[in-house]
Amino acid sequence: MSDLLSLCRDVLSEAGEAEAEIYLSFAERGCARFASGELGQHMQLSEPQAVVRVAHGRRLAETVTSRLDREALVAAVHDTARAARLVPEVEGFPGFAGAGEAVEEAPPRYAEATATATPEERVERLAPALDAIRSAGLVSAGMLETSRSSHAVATTRGCARSHDATIAGFRVWALETPGAGGAAGYGGHLHRDVRELRVDEEAERAVRICKASAQPVSLDEGTYDVVMEPEAVTELLEWLAVIAFGAPEVEQGTSPVAGRLGQRITGDGVDLVEDPCDPSDLGFGAPFDREGTRKGRVSLIEKGVARAVLYDRTYAARLGAKSTGSALLPPGGIGPTSLAMGGGTASSVDELIAGVERGLYICRLHYVNGFLEPRRAVMTGLTRDGCFLVEKGKIACAVGNMRFTDSFLEGLARCDGMTRARKAVATWWSDVGAFVAPAVRIRALRFNGRSQEGWR
Amino acid sequence: MPPDAALRATLDWLRKQPSVRYAEVRFVDARGERLRVRDGRPEQVTAEASRGVGIRVLGPKAWGFACSPDIGEGALQAAAARAVAIARASGAVARTPIAFPEQPAARGRYETPLAIDPLTVPLEDKLATLDAPVRALRAGDARLASAEAWMDWTRQEKRLLSTEGTDVTQSFTFGACGMHVFARGDDGASQRRSYPTWQGGDGFQGGWERIGALDLNAHADRVKDEALALLVAPPCPSGPQTLLLESSQVALQVHESCGHPTELDRVLGSEISLAGGSFLQPHLLGKLRYGSPIVTLVADATSPGGHGTFGWDDEGVPAGTRPLIDHGLFVDYLSSRETAAGLGRASTGTMRADGWNRPPIIRMINVSLDPGAAGTLEDLVADTDDGVLVATDKSWSIDDLRLNFQFSCEVAWEIKRGKRTRLLRNPFYTGITPRFWGSCDAICGAEDWRLWGVSTCGKGDPMQSMHVGHGAAPARFRDVTMGSAS
Repeated sequence: MSDLLSLCRDVLSEAGEAEAEIYLSFAERGCARFASGELGQHMQLSEPQAVVRVAHGRRLAETVTSRLDREALVAAVHDTARAARLVPEVEGFPGFAGAGEAVEEAPPRYAEATATATPEERVERLAPALDAIRSAGLVSAGMLETSRSSHAVATTRGCARSHDATIAGFRVWALETPGAGGAAGYGGHLHRDVRELRVDEEAERAVRICKASAQPVSLDEGTYDVVMEPEAVTELLEWLAVIAFGAPEVEQGTSPVAGRLGQRITGDGVDLVEDPCDPSDLGFGAPFDREGTRKGRVSLIEKGVARAVLYDRTYAARLGAKSTGSALLPPGGIGPTSLAMGGGTASSVDELIAGVERGLYICRLHYVNGFLEPRRAVMTGLTRDGCFLVEKGKIACAVGNMRFTDSFLEGLARCDGMTRARKAVATWWSDVGAFVAPAVRIRALRFNGRSQEGWR
Repeated sequence: MPPDAALRATLDWLRKQPSVRYAEVRFVDARGERLRVRDGRPEQVTAEASRGVGIRVLGPKAWGFACSPDIGEGALQAAAARAVAIARASGAVARTPIAFPEQPAARGRYETPLAIDPLTVPLEDKLATLDAPVRALRAGDARLASAEAWMDWTRQEKRLLSTEGTDVTQSFTFGACGMHVFARGDDGASQRRSYPTWQGGDGFQGGWERIGALDLNAHADRVKDEALALLVAPPCPSGPQTLLLESSQVALQVHESCGHPTELDRVLGSEISLAGGSFLQPHLLGKLRYGSPIVTLVADATSPGGHGTFGWDDEGVPAGTRPLIDHGLFVDYLSSRETAAGLGRASTGTMRADGWNRPPIIRMINVSLDPGAAGTLEDLVADTDDGVLVATDKSWSIDDLRLNFQFSCEVAWEIKRGKRTRLLRNPFYTGITPRFWGSCDAICGAEDWRLWGVSTCGKGDPMQSMHVGHGAAPARFRDVTMGSAS
């Protein structure tokens, strides 16, 4: 896998095109997926990908292929070159990246123990957690994954970069029933080193939340002060990433940031950065994008004020900006891979809960959608895997799942507390990385539905 | 071309392994293109190709899956050995051996019927087909801020061999095409209108001839006029309303509130790690009144041109047709051989993987609402005294048991005394699945029934994206809670 950069260079040399770019990646993923207390799907997944682009002036075409052998890649360059001669010019295309600035010391992203983990090791790590949940009288579900990946990009203008990474992820549910609903608790952890995964602790957390979720009461629709765990906050951040920060959404005017750079768009306690090179254990991003542009820290919202937009090379050139290294892998687009929300001063979630007279403590959200009114970042979604009524600063009882519909940015403007501690949560809809968030307290979030009440 | 010798050699090797109860070897070779034209420039011109083999093995107690992008005999045998090893490792903690009923060997070939092979149409012609409507969508008013048209094609060749003697070859041609425009008001507000429906819901199985039938140019003026009108339209009023859905929105409603909850793996808890469970539990089979008596929903993998049409699923079960909801009564599931056996039933043939490097899971096929007797959409409007007609999905959300849903749409029309009166902006509607379908009192007829295709149905962990189909006619629902996202 470490020879991908050599392969890029060899293919470019042999193909002989004047303007070409090759991005190669190869991932090997071991996924032990369990449900109903059994290891039902255990998989070894190979994910090879080549993205070949060839330009003739500003005429540009692309090929995405799973074949990483030299012959197939050279053929892909030639096929792409033929297509590039047939297409109209791309306004603003500046050519492919040059050698540019050297990548500084790469952030730590690789652990040999994860890269070499075997099916037997995954089963061995899982078995005690499955036993613990079964012993608690509950049903387990989830996945333990160990993956390793290599990435390389090279251009005919001299850009050459490569990067290796590993990710170990554990997500676990403790459930009252396998698939029929009822009480549920969730735990999860992400680390580059499988030896550091908190498997047993997260399984215990899932059991604890599930047990506390029994016999939920039904609450009326209306506004509630909420304390949300990082898993819930990152679900909202994922949708903000989709609608807000990419140059295409800003250019077409649908983004809440469009026309508002330098203006306050949310609460002054909110800091949001794209931080792919975070060297801490919360960082999982790659140091360059698929165009070879070095990624850096970009402050998107600073003390509630919109500060920046994310670009690839073409949008940057056309709009008079500098690429932020935010070209996404196919199917493409521009956006963040490693959003991180700044923390606050609260020492614990309990401290945030203590400041709620009557409200909700929300462990996770489900099926959030942010396309209702993107200019205001209006989103809807439901609670899941733990929702509790808070009265006089303490958790009173479990609550049946509820639907919220509100503007996330306007909600954050009503945020008056965040934890110092933050957590990295894998983005469920793609494999590009993880988002980081603290637990937050938001006043008067609007709820307009109850999940399963009264359907029979 | 499938590497026949290597596939057969791999299967022979698996047959000789004493721990293997069943195995399947699936070769997939997919190629296609994604084209997008935005505001007069080619935003995406991408050719795609993916090729490899997936191997699923049932050991004494558990499954193992491995795959290989290298289709040489040595690489495939190594992948087969990995699948066997994974099944062995998983079996060490399995309490109950998986029950997997036998299936008669399937043999044959399926191929998408098409008149004009889209992969033979010149790239320049395709881009020109997209460029003209985009220019038309932007013309005439500075508030028409951005327009885009797209076209996707995928040719997927699939060969499935199993230790039961199954040997089937299938060739699919999937397409999708559409356009949308964004209008921007002086206050910064933005409104989108799309044709023929939302991006991702406009798929089909067929050839280039389908593009001509879409006729993007002919719809550009209406689409942009509606986008501009929405900028100054009043918000959709909140509260209970009589709701009319146009057919693509009925299709999405079927997808989320009938298709997904009838997936038996989800019902049994196998999809908790991504999507959740289902309210349609086995004790309700044959007993639960899911909808009104005019509601019949059918799973059909044989619908001509359907996005979910095939010859055999990825377990070798032949395509079939059966009702899931029969005159309002919940009667069946989308199932696999393993999950159906648990209920003492036969598989409904819905196991599919989205590529060579993923295992098959239960997926929707074409799940369609039978047409009713309410005539055309205009007949339905004329039959409605007071209500709201909504069209073209904008957002979608439903809970982890598929009960509480909320959809917002691009556009709504107020209906008074049988006529559309004015446009309403940013409508959404919300409800509880069986209560909602129970309130359905009219479904339009075959003349307005259309088979839609969803290209991006996400399920599984890691995520798999699947082609599924939904036939639907416009329908009316009473006493539905509505609101506006404005």
